[in-house]
Amino acid sequence: MADDVRLWSDELARDPSSLVFLPLAETLRRQGQLDLARKVAVRGLERHPHNPDAHDQLARIQADRGDLQSAFDEWDMVLRLVPGHLGAVKGMAFVRFQQGRLDEAEQLLMQAQGHLDDSDINAAIDTVRRSSGVTTAVVAAGDLPSDPHLLFADILADDQTAILLDKDGLVLAGAYYSANGDDVAQDVGASLSGVSDEALRATKHLGIGPWRSILFETEAATVTLAPAPPQGSAAGGLIVVAAAPATPLGQLRPLLERIRSRANAWLDLSA
Amino acid sequence: MSDFTAVLDSLTRQRGVRGSLVVSAEDGIPVDSNLQFGQDGNRVAALAASLYRKARKSAQAAGLGGTGFMQLEAETGRLCVIGGDEIILVVVAERTANVGLIRVELLRAAESLA
Repeated sequence: MADDVRLWSDELARDPSSLVFLPLAETLRRQGQLDLARKVAVRGLERHPHNPDAHDQLARIQADRGDLQSAFDEWDMVLRLVPGHLGAVKGMAFVRFQQGRLDEAEQLLMQAQGHLDDSDINAAIDTVRRSSGVTTAVVAAGDLPSDPHLLFADILADDQTAILLDKDGLVLAGAYYSANGDDVAQDVGASLSGVSDEALRATKHLGIGPWRSILFETEAATVTLAPAPPQGSAAGGLIVVAAAPATPLGQLRPLLERIRSRANAWLDLSA
Repeated sequence: MSDFTAVLDSLTRQRGVRGSLVVSAEDGIPVDSNLQFGQDGNRVAALAASLYRKARKSAQAAGLGGTGFMQLEAETGRLCVIGGDEIILVVVAERTANVGLIRVELLRAAESLA
């Protein structure tokens, strides 16, 4: 892979109009070198402003960087160049979904469904409709879900799960479902008990300031931990979010923020 | 010079990396280290190993399979870890270090030690 990056970089240096900027930017994106990937994609676009793949590439990089609106704009450009481009429609729907604009997300997906029979599209429409239903119910009640297990349900996609733990690893809210459908939140909480303290000690010892997150990759999921809001029973606790391993890391941060802000609101209400 | 010197050197050569350690996975005792931050690595090794063990245990509890790369991100620095059954590799880096490159180097180093 490193050899490929070197080869493509050399080729690009020799011939700045070469299309190798596309695989180069994609590889850098996959390696998490998002700023560099963006730079390569933007330079490529300067040479190939009407290349839909280049706009699509930049959109995915921007989405990974958490710059959702820029990603949306790039996918919008792809659609102008190639009407009905499935990847662009899915990308735009994803952005609107992440922004909580569920009606628009559904509309975009319906539009794509009209052109193609894609099982991914159908599944995405189901997800949006389910989320939309839960959100509407929450707003109509003017309150958060009364069952703490469902506190984060409307924020999470099907392949995501989240829990709020106290400092002893006891579950305060959320649910953590295994692949078998069992709620293993208590087991996960118990095994993570004390992580917050240890992270604090490690960062203090290294003099690198307060810890913000711990991320670890497993075969079946990418798990992110963050300090729980320092309120009431959650003080010193953890927020745990698990997502499918293919989820770009740039998308986990905004998700973690939404979970944290929901936890905050719930703790405020419970105080 | 130990068996790990080359691996540690290649990790510590990455921009923004302040040190790297090979640590016993079970007891958190450093096996070898290349530290540039003027501190005793014993505590870093113990804390990194403990955090990684907890990550592994929670992954097992959730039926998520084996654990690979782990990263602790703090205000001005990062601690990156990757592990096998017997040893783990730990990298201490500045916040501005390229975590994508560190991850790739750690994966490569872990493979070479497997």
